Amino acid sequence: MSELLAIVYLLVFPGFLFLIGFSFFAEWYDRKLVARLQNRMGPPFLQPFADFVKLLSKEDIVTEGVSARFQAAVPVVAFAAVATAFLYLPVAGAASWFGFPGDLILVLYLLTLPTILMFLMGWTSGNLFAAVGSLRAVSQLFVYEVPFFLAALAPALILETWTVADVVAAQSAGRWSLILAPIGFVVALVALQAKLERSPFDIPDAETEIVAGPLTELTGRKLALWHLTKDMELVTGAALVVALYLGGPTVPGVAVAGILGGAIAFAIFFVKVLVVVLVLSVFKAAVGRLRIDQLVRWGWTILTPLALLQIAVVAVLKGVRWI
Amino acid sequence: MKKEKARRERPGALVPEMLRTLTQRPATEPYPAVRIDVPTGFRGRIEVNDERCIGCSKCALVCPTECIEMVADEREVTVGAKTVKRKRKPIVHVLSCIRCGLCEEACPTDPKAIYLTEEFAGSGTDKEVVVK
Amino acid sequence: MPEVEVTIGPQHPALKEPVSFKIIVDGEKIVRLDLDISYNHRGIEKAAEARDFSKAIYLIERICGICSHAHATNFAKGMEALMGIEAPKRAQWIRVLVAELERIHSHLLWLGVLAHEIGYNTMFMYSWRDREIVQDFLEAISGNRVNYGMNRVGGVRRDVSEALRERIREGLKVLEERALAYAELIAEEQTLLVRTRGVGRLTTNQVVELGSVGPVARGSGVSFDIRRDDPYLAYGEVPFDVITSTHGDVFGRAEVRALELVQSVRMARHVVDSLPGGDLAVKAPRIAPKGEYVSRYEAPRGELMHYIRVNGTDKVERLAVRTPTLANWPSVVAALRGRVLADVPVVVAAIDPCLSCTSRTTVVDVDAGTTQTLLWDDLVEYGRRYYREREGVG
Repeated sequence: MSELLAIVYLLVFPGFLFLIGFSFFAEWYDRKLVARLQNRMGPPFLQPFADFVKLLSKEDIVTEGVSARFQAAVPVVAFAAVATAFLYLPVAGAASWFGFPGDLILVLYLLTLPTILMFLMGWTSGNLFAAVGSLRAVSQLFVYEVPFFLAALAPALILETWTVADVVAAQSAGRWSLILAPIGFVVALVALQAKLERSPFDIPDAETEIVAGPLTELTGRKLALWHLTKDMELVTGAALVVALYLGGPTVPGVAVAGILGGAIAFAIFFVKVLVVVLVLSVFKAAVGRLRIDQLVRWGWTILTPLALLQIAVVAVLKGVRWI
Repeated sequence: MKKEKARRERPGALVPEMLRTLTQRPATEPYPAVRIDVPTGFRGRIEVNDERCIGCSKCALVCPTECIEMVADEREVTVGAKTVKRKRKPIVHVLSCIRCGLCEEACPTDPKAIYLTEEFAGSGTDKEVVVK
Repeated sequence: MPEVEVTIGPQHPALKEPVSFKIIVDGEKIVRLDLDISYNHRGIEKAAEARDFSKAIYLIERICGICSHAHATNFAKGMEALMGIEAPKRAQWIRVLVAELERIHSHLLWLGVLAHEIGYNTMFMYSWRDREIVQDFLEAISGNRVNYGMNRVGGVRRDVSEALRERIREGLKVLEERALAYAELIAEEQTLLVRTRGVGRLTTNQVVELGSVGPVARGSGVSFDIRRDDPYLAYGEVPFDVITSTHGDVFGRAEVRALELVQSVRMARHVVDSLPGGDLAVKAPRIAPKGEYVSRYEAPRGELMHYIRVNGTDKVERLAVRTPTLANWPSVVAALRGRVLADVPVVVAAIDPCLSCTSRTTVVDVDAGTTQTLLWDDLVEYGRRYYREREGVG
């Protein structure tokens, strides 16, 4: 493929610009859905974009004694991490053009970065609420990261590959991992909700307790970038779950080539991601927030054991050559 | 309290109702795109009708916030069959008015010279602090 | 980990009104809690002395937005007792109707606030949507959604028409369904239960010692409700149950309020069905003879007391207001001992704090464990000084 096409892929579709646009769309979709579930109207379509633009125009305030350059750099790094992770996920075809053997591990690692950076952000903000919030964010990280990795591991084990493209290809030739590892799917969704810090896991951002958690001191451009990063994380996380468990942009048996094939694949991808976000949104609206100690207890007594159970089942089934 | 049948404790107890709500119209009234009807007797913005006021000052006397100021204003006012020469009229400082309606109750004319309307949309760009 | 002082308030997203908590935390565990109230002190008690009775009612009504009718009615009936007049039956019943509708709207508001404090926004939205039904009734009855202005000394100012009664009857059917649904929901929704069960537990003895009132006391098993134990207005003729709970924690208080909601709906229905005919008010004299009176009322948050002293003029000589929230604050401090930071909003919300009601006479130094009540002399002096400093009036 020519360099020009690669640059278009990277910057426009399905890369940078598309990701940003899709993130705004996903935020609108999520907020509208939650509003309708709550019998409210919900925001108009351009609201996330308008919020972003508004934040960009706000004054940038840095607390005295805090390194302004550091505070400015952290959101950019987080943004870059998530954007890069999205690059390896298939969007309009069975494989991303930038995929390489073992890229699943890279994606998982890159998706861990935002939380660690959020901790850094809060810890160095010089604000008490931010410090408490960042501690909660890290405590939460320890709780959900293990199940999330294990849940991502399950399809990789079943299909014996660490490459996202191969996982998708194997599913389109056979069955979706959802059918083979249903527990893993549920664990992945729950852990994803915790990773995205959405209710009932929005503990680090518990408005009624600690103002805005680690993000308390962020203003203007930095906050705009963080919000966008969070939306991108939602899209990337959903796309990852779709790729691993729901067969990505493919449907078993359908294989159309060329531009039409690409369009169909994209449509399939779009629908599947929206379904995953729908589940996450209903989940978000359905329950209240847990306390951090309750989350830790519940995470280690239920979530991680379930994930381990899934791995054990997969290992056994593989051992007896059933799958 | 009666002991009810054993309740199932579960997360997401509202989910069935939530999903039903998806099919309903939102409860939000998109004001100002939609008119809001207020009930009769709604206590809105206060108004003084210059042609009816006989200047008795009863409204100013009963007002709890003392926001009605009687100013000198001479005018002939027709009350029923009689014509009265009034000496003063009330000026209401709208920002202090708590819309209790005591002035309307105290006003002896019929129809009332000072009354609460059903106006509630008060914001605007024109600073009209005094109601004439 | 070294101890850290977290200050919640006076400005904080969890607080609808200003109050200051200085919480010393060790990690998430609360070591000590200091409480600072009176940010909303407005000198109302002093201001009431400068207005004659009919005007003072409107001032006192505005002590609180949510329980405005409670304050106005309590004052009006206190004045009626001092003047030796009695409001006609219809007026009493209309007062009860508005009082119970106010209780319904207040408890629905509280359910939403509790849900919001624990991040359960769906229940928040639903309960406030249902509350609009009550708000529409109150608007139709009185012309306003809060600060109803229904009372005058001697009775009420507005009548409830037959058509309005019918409308209220219809709406109460819906409300009863919703109230029962909420009572069930709080006992079933697990994420709500884990945040409220066992949190902020107070034993019956503790609650009595701390002087808590209202749903806080009833949530710990103290069966005390002024509507039954010292009946006023028409409560002697309207049947209802006093709701108590044995749980003693935040869930107990929630349970009490949810079931009181159901009771209030039924009471409102009874009033609407059996509203007696008659006048709306008797003429009250302009001057009240010498005397003093303590007027009590079961506001949505608990026992509300007005101490009124008159001396033969047309103005109050001394008005002292003891609101239920003021009585309940010490229970917050006791209930939070040994809990974690995340429990603070929940336990505070559980007493249904109305900070506009709070700033009155008693000064409680919870940290040192002492209670200092200002003598009324000191109080008058304090009030005058405060008033002088703020308004430049003697």
